[in-house]
Amino acid sequence: MAAFLVRRLLQMFLVTIVAAICSYSLLYISPGGPIETLLAEKQNGGANRIDQSDIQRVIERFELDINLPIRFSRWLIGWPNGPIFGSFGADWVVGCTTPGKVRLRYPDGRTEIVEEGCENTLTLAELEGRKASRGVAFGDFGESQVILRGRPVTDLIGSRLFYTLYLMGGAVGLALLIGVPIGVYSAVKQYSRFDYTMTSIAFVGSSLPSFVFGIFAILILSVLAKQAGLPYLPSGDAVGVRDYVIPLLGTITAGSFFDRFLRFLMPCGVLTFINIAGWSRFVRTSMLEVLSQDYVRTARAKGVKESAVVLKHALRNSLIPFVTLLAGVLATLFGGALITETVFNWPGLGRLYIDALSRSDYNVANALLLINVVLLLIGILITDILYTVVDPRIRLG
Amino acid sequence: MATTTTAVPADEPKTTAPESQLSIVLRRFRKHHLAMFCLGLLTVMLLLSALAPVIAPFPRDQLDSAAKFLTPLSVDHAGKLRIFGTDHLGRDYTTRLLFASRVSLGTAVFATLIASTIGIVLGLLAGFFGGWIDTIISRTLEVVATFPTLSLLLIVVSIFVGNEKNIPFPAFVTKTISFLFAVSEREAKLVLMVNLILALFGWTTTCRLMRGMVLSVRENVYIDSARALGASNLRLLARHVFPNSLPPMIVDFTLAVNGTLVAESALSFLGFGITDPTPTWGNMLNSAQSYMFQYPWMPLIPSLPILLASVAINYIGDGLRDALDPRQKI
Repeated sequence: MAAFLVRRLLQMFLVTIVAAICSYSLLYISPGGPIETLLAEKQNGGANRIDQSDIQRVIERFELDINLPIRFSRWLIGWPNGPIFGSFGADWVVGCTTPGKVRLRYPDGRTEIVEEGCENTLTLAELEGRKASRGVAFGDFGESQVILRGRPVTDLIGSRLFYTLYLMGGAVGLALLIGVPIGVYSAVKQYSRFDYTMTSIAFVGSSLPSFVFGIFAILILSVLAKQAGLPYLPSGDAVGVRDYVIPLLGTITAGSFFDRFLRFLMPCGVLTFINIAGWSRFVRTSMLEVLSQDYVRTARAKGVKESAVVLKHALRNSLIPFVTLLAGVLATLFGGALITETVFNWPGLGRLYIDALSRSDYNVANALLLINVVLLLIGILITDILYTVVDPRIRLG
Repeated sequence: MATTTTAVPADEPKTTAPESQLSIVLRRFRKHHLAMFCLGLLTVMLLLSALAPVIAPFPRDQLDSAAKFLTPLSVDHAGKLRIFGTDHLGRDYTTRLLFASRVSLGTAVFATLIASTIGIVLGLLAGFFGGWIDTIISRTLEVVATFPTLSLLLIVVSIFVGNEKNIPFPAFVTKTISFLFAVSEREAKLVLMVNLILALFGWTTTCRLMRGMVLSVRENVYIDSARALGASNLRLLARHVFPNSLPPMIVDFTLAVNGTLVAESALSFLGFGITDPTPTWGNMLNSAQSYMFQYPWMPLIPSLPILLASVAINYIGDGLRDALDPRQKI
């Protein structure tokens, strides 16, 4: 067990580093970013005109002038932030503050300015005075570049984490409470009308894309119900901005508990339904398998009550594979709700990720991706460990 | 002779030649009525998308500022019927839906074909040869499995989409793509890019399944006898291992088509995949979402085909699974 854990932790560490390198360099080559946002603002004109010194400041602040490996290492572990060991390596070139410009003159008279080489280089010694993050490895994800420019990424994530946890917690809890009994009952009454109905619903539910389902929910429960003058559910956001009136329920104060609850219902319902569709099928299949085992027949033959046979002998054993599914929930905490959060404009981590990508806020996107990978790996590890807990026959080695 | 005829059930044709594997599967599939219905539905959708440029009543991107947000079945100022209405720019919704089905269904099939080919070939190699080939492929699979697919897919798409103009695709490739998907050659690069990225993320399941199948098929006695008769590795792969590991791949392919369809629609819906003016069901839904409170029919129209296609493909896969499984009684 100990050897297994050590090996797995080492493996996890390696995969995390690989993922970090991948995501960092992928986002490095992607277009957009703080400079382009600034330039767009400049083109729009307006009161806050931007001159070269502003651009220089932004470049410096977001370390856009440092070479990729050094930048990555500063991002990951907050090092190097000056010369190594006293003055050693003080004059090593680690970046370029002003790229060299070369004017190309074509034979036909056209001229073009291309960036080539470097006019002013950046050395390790010059990094000393700069504000640097403590490094992702120590829980400092740097600053947001676009969404909340200059604010720490951890603040941004912290403000959204609650909403994701609250949405996923509700959906997972409800889906467990409803999905597992449905699966068990379907298996016990196999080929009954209940079983057929539930498996059909689950089949359609698991093939239904979540965004289509979300849109349908908004259309029916929100738009059409409102137009028909029936009590409707508010859609979008987690908290209302202004008070609104719902038929039969009266005025709802924005920000009140009831307001939050009403807005929570639809995204939670969609996620719950999708989870139920998947999980009830899963429980049904594994329950059917266990119910045909010899020890279940033995238990029945001994005269054990049917409820005890189902709940004690069969259910316990059929939940073994299900436990592994649940550990995976940890990973879907963030990725699973990505689309649903976007459809319902829910201010969670998934939507933050979409925002970060579409507005090229690399630090935020990187941080979220890394958290996602780590959660996934932890989920896989917990799955493996839980296997041995629920089924002592399995040994890790 | 008498014993053989009694062994065959009465409702089957009494042929002297043994029934071919294909006709057994087809006969069993035909008994799955829901799957047959879904196959019909999907065929109609595929036909409509194939005929899109011919039957579309309007040019795809024709704007009409006087005919914005027309409700379905209304008549515009020129006296023309708009079956599914018009969108926020006055473009004909029927036309766009037809062209969108070409792009969406086309991507679902095309990207999955690429992904399945990669997966099947790598799975064959890994399962059949084992050794270091298997080690490399299996380790790659393990690492890929630990990546959060959707998040990574979004990053990759957001990097390459928008930069696709800088990637030099050969002219005949863009021409073929623009013909296949009924898009202009300028848009073809973007469509191809999204297809390739989806394929890049989609081969792992197929590969894992194929590897497992090959591992079990390889152990059969007939492989040994073929080898003893002097069959080369290539012949063993092509004539024995590959055909015998294929049936589960057919089911896997249908389910993968659905996966790609949903993935592409989700990407386009989130605004990352194929973007306007190239219509897909996903991006039509995306732009309709902003107007759903005034015009509730707008998101309904592009989401119905996604729903229908997705459920239909799943049922076909289900029917095929039953038909291909010799242990299953139908």
